[in-house]
Amino acid sequence: MPVLEAKNIDKFFYNPSKTQVLKKVSFGVEKGEFVSIVGKSGCGKSTLLYILSTMDTDYQGELYMDGEMISGKPKNYLAHIRNAKIGFVFQFHYLLNEFSVLENVLIPGLKLGLHSRDELEHRAMEKLKFFDMQDHALKRANQLSGGQKQRVAIARALINDPVLIMGDEPTGNLDKKNSDIVFHKFREMAQQFKQTMLIVTHDPEFADGTDRTIEMEDGKVIRQ
Amino acid sequence: MKWTLIIEIAKALMLARMKQTLIAATGVMFSITMFVALLGFMNGLNTMLDGLVLNRTPHIRFYNEIKPNPNQPIDQSEEFKDKLNIIRSIKPSTSRLSIHNSASIIQNLEADPRVLGVSPKIAAQVFFNVGTIDLTGIVNGIDVEKEAALFAFSDYVTVGNHEDLNQINTIILGKGAADRMLADIGDVIQVTTAQGNRVQLKVVGYFQSGLGDFDNVNSYASINTVQKMLGEPASYITDIQVKLNDFTIAPAMASELRDIYQIDADDIQTVNAQFETGTQIRSMISYAVGITLLVVSGFGIYNILNMMIYEKLDTIAILKAIGFNSSDVNRIFITIALTIGIVGGVLGLVFGFLAGLAIDQVPFETEALPTIKTFPVDYNPKYYIIGGTFSLITTYFAGFFPARKASRVDPVEIIRGK
Repeated sequence: MPVLEAKNIDKFFYNPSKTQVLKKVSFGVEKGEFVSIVGKSGCGKSTLLYILSTMDTDYQGELYMDGEMISGKPKNYLAHIRNAKIGFVFQFHYLLNEFSVLENVLIPGLKLGLHSRDELEHRAMEKLKFFDMQDHALKRANQLSGGQKQRVAIARALINDPVLIMGDEPTGNLDKKNSDIVFHKFREMAQQFKQTMLIVTHDPEFADGTDRTIEMEDGKVIRQ
Repeated sequence: MKWTLIIEIAKALMLARMKQTLIAATGVMFSITMFVALLGFMNGLNTMLDGLVLNRTPHIRFYNEIKPNPNQPIDQSEEFKDKLNIIRSIKPSTSRLSIHNSASIIQNLEADPRVLGVSPKIAAQVFFNVGTIDLTGIVNGIDVEKEAALFAFSDYVTVGNHEDLNQINTIILGKGAADRMLADIGDVIQVTTAQGNRVQLKVVGYFQSGLGDFDNVNSYASINTVQKMLGEPASYITDIQVKLNDFTIAPAMASELRDIYQIDADDIQTVNAQFETGTQIRSMISYAVGITLLVVSGFGIYNILNMMIYEKLDTIAILKAIGFNSSDVNRIFITIALTIGIVGGVLGLVFGFLAGLAIDQVPFETEALPTIKTFPVDYNPKYYIIGGTFSLITTYFAGFFPARKASRVDPVEIIRGK
């Protein structure tokens, strides 16, 4: 059973005029797969990712996660799904500057509320250790460099053991060295933990390192 | 959803914008301070000004009025009963000023649970003989202890001791009357009653009510002294003054007892209607000013929260992306607003109380108000409760719209817009 399955996703933008950005997009991601989505800018790959992430609900078609149909579910339920089942990594880090590194990693766990704070803190430290960030745990988020922030963001995405990690050009804003570090961490996660991941990228090197590449053009999947 | 996390996030957001948060809380604090101090001061003044007259006024006063008998013989006769009878030049009947059966009326009233206390009184018209000149005046015969307990008599005796009145043939002169007679404490003055009896009375004190005209005419002596002056027996009383536990029932009670005792009864509301109107308008104005202050500080909170939301759009978007739903975000910002309201409100109440204490120390001495040395302040908890409640209500509403706006932020728009 696929972890994520999209069936005939159509998406329109209405501003300034009606344009179809996604045309009958269908694909699936199997458990443990490390998948990348590539394509020229404007081909609709980010738009697709936001639909898959459940944040954008304005589309036609069907979306299944963990075998469950999630299209048309109420917003609060979708928020819960994002919290429990999806981990997010954005292009621009998006840590909360008001909190420490450790707290940033903790917050989705506290929100889910399955474990005690002590246990979550322990788990958060484990994740930070995996990304070599344990020494920075008590720093403020805005005291870190770009590459460090991105590693913390990935640690945060992992805190609730999500069934799927999604990334929107996670290395897009990083220099070569940091981008390599982050890429290798993704690879490690795929190999060591069999973590299912779906990453949008326009970095061909990154795409080459994934198990499977979905190529998009003009709102259509042309190769998968 | 756990509140601890919401409170933690709200706290972090406030700390990140400490200065603005403090300014908003200061705004609330200032308005609550002003609200409490203003109302306390205003109502202190109200109570004092009303007390000038109302303390000294019985809630119900029983007396016999000299007036023509309404039941003229012609109306009673069989022949003319149903006719329109016009009689010219009716004279008052020789009814007595004294209240008939006063002892049993007083006993009855004292047994009534609605009644706080009863004090008998005799008002006697007199002339004060000063050399060759006679000054008119009124000597009020009072039961000294009851008058002091019910009508704060001792507060208005500015010189001398009111208890000295219990000695026979003593008098406490109104300040105005004493000044005109050049009568010092210990002097003996001569008084002639309307019936022509001459009495010598010793001055034991001055009385100053704050109402000049009243003090020019009125003086006080014990009820026995006045009865003796008039040559009347111990049952002679012209007024029965009643103080009630709840003075709002005075009009109803006055008309009820008027019929039972068959004498005239005036209630405080009818006699002093204008005082209550003035009091009401003054408190209305102070409430209006106080609530305006609170609403203005509410707009301050609204502004600051709006600013905070624009600055923190990224934070809101990321919270939503990692699984916070709209109502969580709403609660975070409502929590911020209410925290500002509670902190500002509590500080405001404390500072308002201190401001009240400070106003209470400001000297305020005037001839007309002998008992007042500093500005009066009312520390009624009512104003503190109203102020606290209003600070919570206004901050809640000030937070309501910004919080709703924050909860409607579309994370995709913010994250893609980067």
